[in-house]
Amino acid sequence: MMNPGSNELIDQLVDDLAPVRPIRTIHGILLTVSAVLVTLLLVEWFEGLRREIFSGSASDFFFITNGMLAVLGSAAALAVVRMVNPRVGNGHDGARWSAVMLALLPLTAVLMLGLGGLRSEFQDNQAGLACLAAGTGFGLVTAGTLVFWLRWGAPVSLNAAGLLTGIAAGAIGSFASGIACPLETVGHLGLWHVAPVVVSAIIGRLVIPPLVRW
Amino acid sequence: MIADEASMARMMAAAQQGDRELYRALLAEVQHWLIRYFRRRVAPAQLDDLVQDVMLAVHNKRATWDAERAFYPWLAAIARYRWVDHLRKVYRSGETELGDFDAAEDSQEEAVMARMSLERLFVLLPDSQVEAIELVKIEGLSIAEASARTGQSESLIKVNIHRGLKKLAALVEKAD
Repeated sequence: MMNPGSNELIDQLVDDLAPVRPIRTIHGILLTVSAVLVTLLLVEWFEGLRREIFSGSASDFFFITNGMLAVLGSAAALAVVRMVNPRVGNGHDGARWSAVMLALLPLTAVLMLGLGGLRSEFQDNQAGLACLAAGTGFGLVTAGTLVFWLRWGAPVSLNAAGLLTGIAAGAIGSFASGIACPLETVGHLGLWHVAPVVVSAIIGRLVIPPLVRW
Repeated sequence: MIADEASMARMMAAAQQGDRELYRALLAEVQHWLIRYFRRRVAPAQLDDLVQDVMLAVHNKRATWDAERAFYPWLAAIARYRWVDHLRKVYRSGETELGDFDAAEDSQEEAVMARMSLERLFVLLPDSQVEAIELVKIEGLSIAEASARTGQSESLIKVNIHRGLKKLAALVEKAD
């Protein structure tokens, strides 16, 4: 049994001590905001943001969908940002409730479209698939940034970190690409713009935990 | 006697700025606390390794402690994380006896410490999973021996260990 207070390990660690700059939540928030801005620039570069939305020229459902995606992306990203400072007592309920809130969109689409409408929405829908791919793809900027952030810190809930990183990436990617999307139907927004969140969450849960293990 | 929260936070803040004298004192306290924290939940032969592992993690991740937050919940989260990792790695050891040390029995912050204890994690698992993990991962019995001891089939023992460790990993930051 080691003798507390007097062993080689403590000597080595003390010898190795160098000043460190504490990792704070605000650093992660700034990093994430930067990632969102880069994502918006990429969307502008590749697809072109819709200028007319700034004068309110879009449907109610367009603003509701993208607003909910932005809220979910922010809540999930903030939860991930806070994970680098581990603490018994940390909780991530805000992001979970936001995710539940977003589920209202596909539910609304299903109720309004009915079975026939759903079938036609999924049949050979190139525009829908394009939005799924764009939302997921543009989300990679956020995903990469948050993985970098997690690897810098000390996350101790790895599965939750992977899942929430995926949700944040999908939501922010879909939000950004959604601002360039001209389609505003309930079926398109409620299904194809929410799908990147689901796909990214699954990928994040499976892929990210091994990347951030320490 | 364990140093109080305010003292630990003060020493950690100084250590982040490079104060070696206070860092040495902090590490000694951390080591003492970890020995008490793990003593009933790790086989004696593995206690030193685990404590050293956590101390290395504390050193390497010292920038992740935020001075605006309490120190012990940060240390406990890292300790729990490395403990679950340790349980995953351990399959069998020669040790079968645990110490009878009563963790945190004389701490002034006993209630706070209790919320962060390893026992609090086990309370959240079904008895069958706790039993399987304790016998195989902590006491070092083989799957067959644990099966004979508990009456659970060998397959069930394996399933309970797998599910139990998965759940423990998800509960690392849980306080209640």
